[in-house]
Amino acid sequence: MRLLSKCFIFCVVIIGTLSSCIEDQDFGQYDEIEVTPTIEASMLYVEAPETMINQAPANVVFSQNFNFDAFSYDAFSERVLEGAVTYIIENTTSKQLDITIEFLDEQGNVLGPVDTFTIQPTPTAEQQIIVAYGDSGRSIEIIKNTSSIRVTTTNRGDNVSVSTEDDPKIIIKSSAKFRVRIK
Amino acid sequence: MSLHKILFLVLLWAGFVVQGQNKQLLYDFVEIPQAAMVNPGVEADFQWYTGIPALSGISFQAGSSGISVNDIFANDGQRINDKIRDRAINGMTPRDELSGTFQVEFLIFGFRGRNPDHFFTGGMYLEGDAIGYWFKDYAVLAFEGNADRLNQRFDLGHLKTRGELVNVFHFGMNKQVRDGLTVGGRAKIYSSIFDFNSTKNRGYFVTRPGESNIFVSTLEADMQLRTSGLNSLKDSFDEENTAGTVIKRALFGGNLGLGFDLGFTYHLNEQVVLTASLLDLGFIYHTNDVKNFTLNGTATIEGVEVVLPDAFDDPNTDFWEDLVDDVENFVPFDDNTNSYVSFRPTKLYASLRYNFGEPVEGRASCDCGVNAVRSPANRAKYVNSVGAQLYVINRPRGPQAALSAFYQRRFGNILSMKAAYTVDKFSYTNIGLGMSLQAGPMNFYVMADNLLAYRNVAASQYASFQLGLNIISWGAR
Repeated sequence: MRLLSKCFIFCVVIIGTLSSCIEDQDFGQYDEIEVTPTIEASMLYVEAPETMINQAPANVVFSQNFNFDAFSYDAFSERVLEGAVTYIIENTTSKQLDITIEFLDEQGNVLGPVDTFTIQPTPTAEQQIIVAYGDSGRSIEIIKNTSSIRVTTTNRGDNVSVSTEDDPKIIIKSSAKFRVRIK
Repeated sequence: MSLHKILFLVLLWAGFVVQGQNKQLLYDFVEIPQAAMVNPGVEADFQWYTGIPALSGISFQAGSSGISVNDIFANDGQRINDKIRDRAINGMTPRDELSGTFQVEFLIFGFRGRNPDHFFTGGMYLEGDAIGYWFKDYAVLAFEGNADRLNQRFDLGHLKTRGELVNVFHFGMNKQVRDGLTVGGRAKIYSSIFDFNSTKNRGYFVTRPGESNIFVSTLEADMQLRTSGLNSLKDSFDEENTAGTVIKRALFGGNLGLGFDLGFTYHLNEQVVLTASLLDLGFIYHTNDVKNFTLNGTATIEGVEVVLPDAFDDPNTDFWEDLVDDVENFVPFDDNTNSYVSFRPTKLYASLRYNFGEPVEGRASCDCGVNAVRSPANRAKYVNSVGAQLYVINRPRGPQAALSAFYQRRFGNILSMKAAYTVDKFSYTNIGLGMSLQAGPMNFYVMADNLLAYRNVAASQYASFQLGLNIISWGAR
């Protein structure tokens, strides 16, 4: 009898212990989880020497479409929210240059406004331009549909002068920084 | 949802969230036949026993060392994204883990040999076993990205996980070799149903100021994921034949391995007992349905680079495709079907027990006493036992230990209870209770850990239970 009473007490303790509690949980919060990292990487780097600029017919140093599919991959284009493209342009030549950058879709159509940057001859400092896309800038659809980038460099100076800088050239650097929605 | 789909999902879930369980309550609980499974050198006074198939031993454990459900989903008015950022992304370290285990015995038996000093055990059980460490740098990249984190290396080695579902056939012997010393050993054949492991990853991803362009991104990777049996399961799921595939692979149709358990019990004096065991010293050789994936190499890129006028030598040059090809060549993502060996998570148990109080008359057919040395069957138990236990398991990031203090109380030959306080990486407040009830030949046991956490289950970072039903005979008196 004594043993049975001990068994009973033990069972009561176990049941009491296992009659557990749980604080109020809200699993509906799962829907509010936002996974929106911001990723950043270089895009396009173009450089051309001053000799090439001096030899350019009709002062158009080059105008070239560069295939750039990074933005058109579904994994990116379906998830990108907003961001910016940064250009850094260095001109160590003796000429004023116009740099035109156009984003093109798969059919070669120009998307959005055309960016033309006028770069003064050396000794000007490098020029940095940031173009925003998304809510605070141009339409993000431009980025989503970009399949190639056309870069055009036009010489607005003479065809004979030579800069006193070492290895004079025009350099166009660019990077992209975009926020994407994973969830 | 059909049964086979449920089975498939349960098996996968079990494989992904479970890992070697500390059975500190069962260890050296000599009234329970399954104590021999955690120490083959346990002192057994049974004549024979057999488990009720599929009910003789069921155990489950799950643990998270860094975070609980309550930390994220508590209805506390805080934004869930802030909680994830503060408590998971920034609050956890790569040593934090999500792990657990489950085991279901389908067959277990034990019997005393012609030599009464010999006791034999055997059986079959299904075990799921897995661990995943917190992949911190991957999480930072996924939630926040690499922007504005110049020069920060994201460590690819933070991906460290392994898991398996294996059916185990075992047979062992337990022998009293001399006064007060009992040793035991067990051989195991593993029949792997599925296995995955990715534990030796190295490398990093970093974004730095570029030398020519604005940024330079570097990926250096030496990564590997090895799997076996997953394709068979996936195919069986598509063919709605999951149960058949699992059973086939469990009964020697998968990948096979070999292992051993060792253990002993030694009476230092009349009342002090030292025990230890080493479990799952073994391996599985995976040759069947193997699929491995590798990512090896180094790539450094600064975007599409065009240096004129040389770049226009070939007007058909696609600079973007060249860049993609370069990355794929420098860091190739490959797969293969190479065989591999996986080692079982070896476990070590040890205990020091002090017995005191009145002796409890044994059930064995003998003239028993506390000083009996003829065989374990002749040694009477004391009413009380108190002691300490150590548990160590080999994990991908090195050994992981738990320390327990316990008290065991026997109420005649009918009821025995054990309470244990355990400290490990999951909890400093783990109090567990176990009970073995003997009703005639029927033995029922139940055990549960971390009982204090039941005050708020959602906040618990560790949960564990075991239960089972056996039939035991001590022979005719």
